[in-house]
Amino acid sequence: MAAKQAPLSPSDHAELFPGADPTGVPAMPGSSRSDSGLRRRELLTTTAVALVFSGTTAEALVVEGSLPWSPFAGTPPKAVQPGPWVFFTSEEGATVEALVDRLIPPDPQTPGGKDAGCAVFIDRQLAGPYGTADALYMRGPFIEGIPGQGYQSPLTPAAWYRQGLAALDKYCRATHSIPFINLSDDQKDKLISGLENGSLKLDGVDGQMFFQRLLGDTRQGFFADPVYGGNRDMVGWKMIGFPGARYDYRDWVERHNERYPLPPLAITGRPDWNQQKT
Amino acid sequence: MKIHNLIGLALAACVIGAPALLAQDEQSFEKIERGRYLAVLGDCVACHTAPGGKPFAGGLGLETPFGALVGPNITPDLATGIGAWSEADFWRTMHEGIGKNGVRLYPAMPYPAYTKVTREDVSAIWAYLRTLEPVRNEIQSNQLMFPFNVRRPATSVWNLINFQPGVFQPDTSKSEAWNRGAYLVEGLGHCGTCHTQKNITGGDRGGEALQGALLQDWYAPDVTSDLRTGIGGWSTDEIVRYLKTAVNSFGIASGPMAEAVEHSTSHMTDADLMAIATYLKDSPGKKNPPPITSLPADDPRMIAGKAIYEDRCAACHISSGAGIPTLFPRLANAPLVQSDDPTSLIRVVLAGSRAGATAAAPTAPAMPSFAWNLNDQQVADVVTYIRNAWGNAAQPVQAGDVGKLRDRLQRQAATGG
Repeated sequence: MAAKQAPLSPSDHAELFPGADPTGVPAMPGSSRSDSGLRRRELLTTTAVALVFSGTTAEALVVEGSLPWSPFAGTPPKAVQPGPWVFFTSEEGATVEALVDRLIPPDPQTPGGKDAGCAVFIDRQLAGPYGTADALYMRGPFIEGIPGQGYQSPLTPAAWYRQGLAALDKYCRATHSIPFINLSDDQKDKLISGLENGSLKLDGVDGQMFFQRLLGDTRQGFFADPVYGGNRDMVGWKMIGFPGARYDYRDWVERHNERYPLPPLAITGRPDWNQQKT
Repeated sequence: MKIHNLIGLALAACVIGAPALLAQDEQSFEKIERGRYLAVLGDCVACHTAPGGKPFAGGLGLETPFGALVGPNITPDLATGIGAWSEADFWRTMHEGIGKNGVRLYPAMPYPAYTKVTREDVSAIWAYLRTLEPVRNEIQSNQLMFPFNVRRPATSVWNLINFQPGVFQPDTSKSEAWNRGAYLVEGLGHCGTCHTQKNITGGDRGGEALQGALLQDWYAPDVTSDLRTGIGGWSTDEIVRYLKTAVNSFGIASGPMAEAVEHSTSHMTDADLMAIATYLKDSPGKKNPPPITSLPADDPRMIAGKAIYEDRCAACHISSGAGIPTLFPRLANAPLVQSDDPTSLIRVVLAGSRAGATAAAPTAPAMPSFAWNLNDQQVADVVTYIRNAWGNAAQPVQAGDVGKLRDRLQRQAATGG
């Protein structure tokens, strides 16, 4: 390996960055020849600082003897508490409840999206890091992409929901003179279908994308662990026979054509953990 | 042992008569090395070393019902250790519980056990302690509450009730291994300090040796030959394996026993471990234990407990309670599980626990804490279940006791105690 010991000469720079200022680093937008020397110094200094810091802070933890352990250790999930809306206004909350109850309508065996807590799930998600897009790159440029490129909006999901719900409300009042929640089930379904197939245009909002996101979030609310506010009493899991957050099926690996007998289990437990008073 | 006494007398004669000879003897490698081994047997560091501190320089607090006592500095530092002591001072400390200048020790120093140690062995330990590097470390040992902090009357009365000085006397009707085991268990090993029930003054309760006791919110289980609550079902080889590696086919050492294994028993010779096992296998369990039957499976506590067990415990301890040998303790037919006192069980469910790690078994598997997930009644029910499932039988556990222990343990964890 022939490592280059000498610092780069201006001509090296010219080779590496065709069209660059031969006396320093490549010109940046807004920079001028006169300050490029300063920029070079800055670049070298910050690089050196970065190297020093990465060299001192990136040490691996050395564990000797046995692994660290402390009593009561653990990072339990924070369970969503029932109660008033955290993100939605009461009108928004009622609209979302009406929407999720048409996406997953109640039937004699299983409650619908509303009673399963899907709207509560979405509300708490929008109030948290999902709503504020903590995990997304949210700086420009914002260009309309193709569907495969995913979310391209400068709005956080929370702001995006708010805008979508407002546009929906505006549409309902303009077309039917009543808010969404007061429409008949047929009218609601027709409207939702229009959003889904793109035939229904909302003012300033991509209705199809609004539908897709709402449907996805409703599904998650119906099937995610109840600790997040939806899937109340594990109704989603009971419906499809999913045994929940279980850990070990060794007793059942060799037993074929038998029904697994244990009911679903949530992260915080299941009702059978409490004594049944007879 | 007559021969030991003779050697002891001979040594004493040397001490008085021939200082030059003594100096030579004190430097004998064999003697110092034997003293080092005996100090390990006695697990001196357990109390005389602070967590992360210099060995033997003192500093681990022992919480007693009467207040705290801190193990003093026993390095040969003149000002803060025992550098100014003579061997005679040390012998009196070990044998009578009376330190230099007639200071009476509190029986947190297990002199009621150490009194059984031969003069020869005490001399070897002394020789070893003299070779330690002196460490300057002032220790405020006596942190008891009034009136127990006034040494003289407190300890005199205590000794009158509880203390009989005297070197171990072998039982000629028993084997050599049995006698060596008895000498280690009753003497330097001071097993009864944790495993023997205490009377109201904190002295060993007569006739109940090694039948299990509660100390610092751990229940040190019955280690007699009792088949249900003791280790009568363990072979001598399994006992040796437990003491040497911290694990065997049945269980894993945890809590204070994990430390005892790590610091002390894992360093013992196989012959000494076999001797201890021989003696424990022959130690009598509780006389006429009250008959006890398992709770019926349809008891509401058992039904709830079984549901919790299936969901939270069975992944490691197996639905049959058999555990995984050397990794996850067996619960079915396990002595600790059926102990009269369920404190240790409740404790490991609440706070979790880590097993001891030894060179032979370095994994040290840990039990996770379930305090966040189970309320007091649920902890009580799952512990009641494991105490009464698979043929086990023991008293049910009360939610109130779980709550009190939870509060105490969480306070300790918060203060780093």
